[in-house]
Amino acid sequence: MKALIKQARITDPNSSFNGQITDIFIENGVISQIGKDLTVQADQVIDAKGVCLSPGWVDVFAHFGDPGYEYKESLESGSAAAAAGGFTDVFVIPNTQPVLQSKSNIEYIVSKAKALSVNIRPIGAITRGCEGKDLAEMYDMRASGAVAFSDGIHAVQSAGLLVKALQYVKAFNGVLIQLPDDKSINPHGLMHEGIISTQLGMAGKPALAEELVVNRDIELTRYAESQIHFTAVSTARSVDAIRNAKKEGPGISCSVTPYHLFFCDEDITTYDSNLKVNPPLRSKEDRAALISALQNGDIDCIATHHLPHEYDSKVLEFEYAKFGMIGLETAYGVLQTAVPEVKPEQWVQLLAIGPRAIFGLDPVTIEKGAVTSLTLFDPKEKWTVAEKDLRSRSKNTPFTGKELTGKVKGIFNKDAVILQ
Amino acid sequence: MSLSTKHLLGIKNLTPEDISLILSTAAQFKEVLQRPVKKVPSLRDIVVVNLFFENSTRTRISFELAEKRLSADTISFSASASSVSKGETLLDTVNNILSMKVDMVVMRHSASGAPHFLAQHIPAAIINAGDGINEHPTQGLLDAFSIIEKTGSLQGRKVAIIGDIMHSRVAQSNIFLLNKMGAEVTVCGPPTLIPKHIAAALNVNVSYNLQETLQWCDVANVLRIQLERQNQVLFSSLREYSLAYGINRRLLDSLHKEIVIMHPGPINRGVEIDSDVADSKQSIILQQVENGVAVRMAVLYLLSQRSN
Repeated sequence: MKALIKQARITDPNSSFNGQITDIFIENGVISQIGKDLTVQADQVIDAKGVCLSPGWVDVFAHFGDPGYEYKESLESGSAAAAAGGFTDVFVIPNTQPVLQSKSNIEYIVSKAKALSVNIRPIGAITRGCEGKDLAEMYDMRASGAVAFSDGIHAVQSAGLLVKALQYVKAFNGVLIQLPDDKSINPHGLMHEGIISTQLGMAGKPALAEELVVNRDIELTRYAESQIHFTAVSTARSVDAIRNAKKEGPGISCSVTPYHLFFCDEDITTYDSNLKVNPPLRSKEDRAALISALQNGDIDCIATHHLPHEYDSKVLEFEYAKFGMIGLETAYGVLQTAVPEVKPEQWVQLLAIGPRAIFGLDPVTIEKGAVTSLTLFDPKEKWTVAEKDLRSRSKNTPFTGKELTGKVKGIFNKDAVILQ
Repeated sequence: MSLSTKHLLGIKNLTPEDISLILSTAAQFKEVLQRPVKKVPSLRDIVVVNLFFENSTRTRISFELAEKRLSADTISFSASASSVSKGETLLDTVNNILSMKVDMVVMRHSASGAPHFLAQHIPAAIINAGDGINEHPTQGLLDAFSIIEKTGSLQGRKVAIIGDIMHSRVAQSNIFLLNKMGAEVTVCGPPTLIPKHIAAALNVNVSYNLQETLQWCDVANVLRIQLERQNQVLFSSLREYSLAYGINRRLLDSLHKEIVIMHPGPINRGVEIDSDVADSKQSIILQQVENGVAVRMAVLYLLSQRSN
């Protein structure tokens, strides 16, 4: 496959071409030429005038239901959704059936993903069955291709167990991903505990439940001299704690979801179950703190927390509906709309450079001879999210019908060109 | 005059004018209920279904009686929400019933927001008969009606709500209503049973001291303690709860004034309220039950007028 991208704006702080408007010629999965007005024979010519070209984007926390819940999302449908959202790389969480907790589970994902245009990187379970009791075989999973370790949507509750896991993964430079949540605090909480939950008469989950685990795990990581990544950080005090911890030393990083930057608890006025997520949509003040942390560089990367659910799991009473929304396809539009002040280079830092550095992936830079992993995006284009356009097998998103600014135009990955 | 809303989902969505209209209409129906012939034809040819996904005796009977007094055709359905959630979804259950041409749905459900969810998916008018820990609007209305009947007005009235505020849809509806109508509210109970953000969220005073609260108020609305809560580390024992927050004669006599005692029922005698308080002339507990029928007739009537 030979593709010629015409007049793209190179958006890659690590590239010598950063900021230039130039042509790029891709041959068999490698960038073979970069230069103005290239005249080459290509199978496909893409007019990218006024559009940004970034190293391929990485999502560090998405749920594909494969194996076990293929009716929610298969590796194929999830991969198509990722490509539509500009992601060349997706970390998938282990909350499948069976749980990704052994070499064979990891190998299943790795081998099946080879045929797909997106790099799907499995996250292995920290504990068997993600039950928080016994350590899973992380050494073996790492050797088979697990990118990181997490119990996914279940936070590891026991401090004693987590500190052992943190120590254990040091042997192979592993990173643990924790979705911080103390389940003993208001275990039946449905939304952020605050003024809005009180007015809606819904059981609340206080910010405290997240902040306790963030603070605890920072101490555990210090003690173990290991690495932890907090995903979907959602409160002002969590961000403060992580910022301070980073000043003290290495090993701590965090991500936010696009939707925590867009919505707050005040948006849950009609018991719309598409807004039922964990961690919950927090207060307006928390959202403002997340946005300013993102602008100040305190957030390392973006996690879509793509959690697909079929109609029957979501179109229910709020209390009975499952937690989570799909997010791969809307991620960039939501980010750009929620925080329009952020410049393209900074999004590239958050979506492409930050996650690769934290999780030890090979850096991807737009240079001659580099392996092709590219995302084409237009920060100015407006579009309206329509259910019929969604590639994900599930449609549980509150963004249907919403107009967003910022659109992904396509990805170039392996030898594939997928344009939107 | 007509209501500003198609459904009665909660007091939260009502205007003060809606509330006044319901209460004045209820007064007329209460007068009707004193007549030898208590039945009026207002809801003739209207089909009302009572869906009770959670146990209820008095609210269900009160609604059924109100519907019969208005000459509506009624069907009642009781099932525990858990058995329904295992099989048919709420939406399926209700759509099945609606396909038999039902005009109004009265629903009690254990999940907060269940009637709001339903209102987005079905055309019939919905009356919330209690949803989770959110609202119980007809109870709020009948409590207000009873306070006005006993004391003349809500404006400036000091009302204490005592007990398990956290899990009480009755408290929630009372607070919304009393605030909208110019009364002042204090909630009182053990801190573990009072929502942390309630003062700011619902504009109420918070007290943990029963004696002081009773001294302050004109009306005390005493909530039922759900017996199963004591196993949820919210309080240690019924005995201790009763010692700290139970209303007894000695306490009332120490106030040197006579306050009005209310209770939404059913009563745990000797726990949140003693018999010699519940059955005293200060208590309007049975009047509340009586007024419930008139208030529910008013709500049914006004909503049916609106959907016509």
